[in-house]
Amino acid sequence: MGAVPQLVISTVLLGGIYALIAVGLTLIFGIMRVVNFAHGEFLMLGMYLAFWAFALWGLDPYVILVVAVPIFFGIGLLTYALVMRGVVKASHNVQIFTTVGLSTALQNAALVAFTGDFRFVRPWHSGVVIRLGEAAFNLSQVVAFAVAVLFTAALVAFMKWTRAGRIMRATAQDVEAATLMGIDTDRVYRLAWAIGLVCVGIAGVLMSPLYSVYPTAGLQFVLLAYVVVVLGGLGDMIGALLGSLIVAAVEVIGSYLFGSAWKEVIYFVLFIAVLVFRPAGLFGQRGAETLGA
Amino acid sequence: MRHDLPAIVLFGAAALTPLVIRDGFLLDGLVLILLWGAVSGAWNVAGGYAGQVSLGHSAFFGLGAYSAALLATRFHRSPWLGLLVGALLATVAGLIIGYLSNRLKGPYFGLATIAFSQVLLIVASRWRGFTSGSEGIPVPFRPGFWTLGFSSKVPWVYLILALAVGIYLVARYLETSRPGYQLAGVREDEDAAEALGIPCRRLKVAAIAASAALTSVCGGLWAQYVGFVDPFYVFSVDLSIRFALNSIIGGIGTAVGPFVGSLLITSLETYLRATFSDFKAGLIGIYLIIYGCLLIVVVRFVPQGLVGWLGERLRAVGRYARA
Amino acid sequence: MLELESVTKRFGGLTAVKDVSLRAQAGEILGIIGPNGAGKTTLFNVISGFYAPDGGHVRLDGRDISGLAPHHVCGLGLTRTFQLVKPFGNLSVLDNVMIGALTRLRAVGAAREEARRVIATCRLEAFADSRARSLPIGLRKRLEVARALATRPRLLLLDEVMSGLNATELVEMIGILRRLHADGLGLIVIEHIMAAMMRLAQRIVVLHHGEKIAEGRPDEISRDPRVVDAYLGEEFVLADA
Repeated sequence: MGAVPQLVISTVLLGGIYALIAVGLTLIFGIMRVVNFAHGEFLMLGMYLAFWAFALWGLDPYVILVVAVPIFFGIGLLTYALVMRGVVKASHNVQIFTTVGLSTALQNAALVAFTGDFRFVRPWHSGVVIRLGEAAFNLSQVVAFAVAVLFTAALVAFMKWTRAGRIMRATAQDVEAATLMGIDTDRVYRLAWAIGLVCVGIAGVLMSPLYSVYPTAGLQFVLLAYVVVVLGGLGDMIGALLGSLIVAAVEVIGSYLFGSAWKEVIYFVLFIAVLVFRPAGLFGQRGAETLGA
Repeated sequence: MRHDLPAIVLFGAAALTPLVIRDGFLLDGLVLILLWGAVSGAWNVAGGYAGQVSLGHSAFFGLGAYSAALLATRFHRSPWLGLLVGALLATVAGLIIGYLSNRLKGPYFGLATIAFSQVLLIVASRWRGFTSGSEGIPVPFRPGFWTLGFSSKVPWVYLILALAVGIYLVARYLETSRPGYQLAGVREDEDAAEALGIPCRRLKVAAIAASAALTSVCGGLWAQYVGFVDPFYVFSVDLSIRFALNSIIGGIGTAVGPFVGSLLITSLETYLRATFSDFKAGLIGIYLIIYGCLLIVVVRFVPQGLVGWLGERLRAVGRYARA
Repeated sequence: MLELESVTKRFGGLTAVKDVSLRAQAGEILGIIGPNGAGKTTLFNVISGFYAPDGGHVRLDGRDISGLAPHHVCGLGLTRTFQLVKPFGNLSVLDNVMIGALTRLRAVGAAREEARRVIATCRLEAFADSRARSLPIGLRKRLEVARALATRPRLLLLDEVMSGLNATELVEMIGILRRLHADGLGLIVIEHIMAAMMRLAQRIVVLHHGEKIAEGRPDEISRDPRVVDAYLGEEFVLADA
C-alpha cells in the first residue's frame, strides 16, 4: 500500500487550496444567494497578478500575497459598485447574465491584455521537493496549503466572533428581519462580495507556482468550486472545508486510478450527480430550497 | 399577421439579398447572421419560452456538428443523414438533461448544463480513435445537393434561411398553441401551473429536447458550411453564451428577437473582423468584452430586449396617436 | 366525495398535520378554520398533491390519490388556489384564465371563449386585457379563483381567498362563491377569520396545532368551548357577522 501516504498527503494539500476557493464562493452564495459565474475569473486574475509581479519585478508570490489582499478587496468594491449592486433582488435572468457577462468581459480582457499564451510562475520553491517516507510533495504546495488553512480559519473566526460577521450571518438567515433591525443589507452584500473575491484572489496567487496561467484557467476551478460548495451545503463554511477534502480525494484517487486526462470528467459527473441527487449537500439543509430541492 | 411583420421584412430582405449582392464575403455574413439567429432561436425555445436558461447548449450544437462530420468522413453517408442522427442524439441528451435537472432552478440549471457541455468537450477532444481527438475533423467538400457541397454561397443563403424560418415558426407555434400557453404558465409560476393541471415536468423536458434537436441541426449545417469541426470551439462555454446573448439582446421569449439580436451582433463582429484583420487576435477579445458588458447592461435595463423595447415604444405611440 | 383518513404530515421534528380525518360531500361548502400555524395550508398541500402524506390516505370518489402529482389531482377534478396568490404576472388576465381552461379544452379558441365566460362570472371583464401584475390584491384574489374555476373542477379548494379584501370586495367574493355553490360546485374554504366563514360554510372543521379539535355547523362551532379556547385572546374573531 505504498501509494496511500502519497494519496493522503496530496489530497490534504489539494483540499486546502480548494477550500480557499470554495469558502469565498460559499460566503458570496450564502450571504447573497447569487451564483457567481465569474468566480473563476478572479482566480485567474490572482494568478496573473502573481505572474506579472514575478516576471516584471522578480517578486515572489508569497510577497505578493500581502498586497493581493487590499488589491482584491478594492476590486471587489469596484465590481460591486459597477455591476453587482442590486443584483441580489433582481430576477434569475439578471443574476445569471450579470455574472456571466462579467466572466466573459474579464476573460477576454485578460486575453487582450496578456494574450492567450500559457504562462508559468517558477519561483525557487516550486522546484523544491520534500520527502516524507514514501510520499513526495512540493514546497509550494505546502505553503499554499498552510496559507489557505490559516486564511480560512481566520475567515471562519471572523464570521463567528466579530460583530461584522454576526451581522452578515444574520442577513443570510433572514433578510427582512435584518433590514428591520436596521442593518444596511447593501453594505453586507458588498462586504461579502469583497471578502469572497479576496479569498479567491489569494487562492490564485498561491496556485500560480502550481498551475499554468492562461485567460480561461478559471473555468475548471469554478465548476470544481461549485461541486465543493454544493456538496458542503451552500453557505456552510465548515461544509465547504469538508467538501474540499472530498473533492480533492476524488480527484487525487481518480487521477491515480484513471489517469489525469479523465479526472475532469470525474468531477463534472460528480457535480451533476450532486446537483441532481443531493442538492442540499451531504451535511446541510440551508440553500436547498433555492436550488429547488 | 401584423405580429409577423418584422419577421417578414427580415426574412424577405434576406431572401432578396442574393439577387442584388454577389460579393461572397457579404453573402457569407448573411449566412452567418441567419445561422446564429437560427441557433439562438433554437436556444430560445428552452431559454425564453420554457424559462430554462441553459448555458451549455453548445453540447447539442457540437453533437450535431460531430454527427454530420463523422457520418460524412467515417461512414461516408450523406450529411443530411448526419443531421438526422445528430437530432436524435441531441433529443436523447436533451431528455436526459431535462429530466435530471428538473428541480434545478435558474442559475443551478445553468451550472448543470455547463458541466454537461464540458463533459462532452473532454470526451470529444480525448477520444482519438473515434473523433480524432483534439485535432478536430475536417469536413470533406463533395459537390452536390445530397452532400451539401455548394460552391457558391447562394444555395447556402436559402438553405439556412429555410432553417431560420422553420425555427421562427416553431417559436410562433409556441406563442399560439395549447402546449405553448401551458409552457408560458410553467415559466411564469410553476407551482400555480401544476395546480391548474399542467404537467410541468413533461413540458419542460419536451421543450429542452426540442430545443436540443433544433440546435443540433444548426450545428450539423454549420459543420458542413464551415468545413471543420474543432471540439474546443464547438463545445465551448463561449459559444453557449453566444446563443443566449443574441436572444437577450434581441428579445428573449419573442420569436423574431434572436434574429434581430444576431443581426446586430454578427454584423458588428463581421465588420470588426474585416476592418481590423491585422489586429485579429487582440480584437476578437475586444468585441467579446463588449458583449460581456452589453449582456450585463441589457439584461438589467432592457430585459425585454430590443424587439420588446421597440414593441412597447410603438404601442405607446399608437396609444398617443389614438388619443 | 373527498375523504381524508388519518392524514399525517411531518417536517423533520415538526408534525404539521396529525391524524386528521374528514369528509367533504359533493356540492357542499366545507370550511376549515384555525389559528395561524394550525396546519390548514399544509393540509391543502397534502390533499392537492404538493406533499405526500406521511400517514393516512386521501381519497377522491373512493380512489386513493395520496401522493399523486398535483396536475394529476387537478385532472381528476380537484383544483386549489394559493394563500399567497400566484398570478402569471406578465400575462393578461384573459391569458391567465385561458391557461386554466386549456386543462380541459384542447382548442385555444374554445379555451378563450370559456375564459371569457369565467371572467364574466367573476366580474373581471373590465380587466381582461390588463397584465396580471398590475392588479391590486383584491382583483388578484378574484383572478386566482377565476383561473382555478376555468379548470372545471368538481371540488375547489380556496386558501384564504378573502383575506386582504375590503368590505365591498368581500361581499362580491362571497356572492361569487355562493353562485358557484348554487351551480353545484363543491367548495372547501380555508379562512382565518370566523366571521367570513359563518356566512358561507355549511359545515366547519377546526384545526389547532395540526389536529382536528371540532367539527360541526357554524353555530355549534362558535359555541364550542374548545374552539373558543384555541382562539383565546382573539374574541373579536368570534364576533358574529
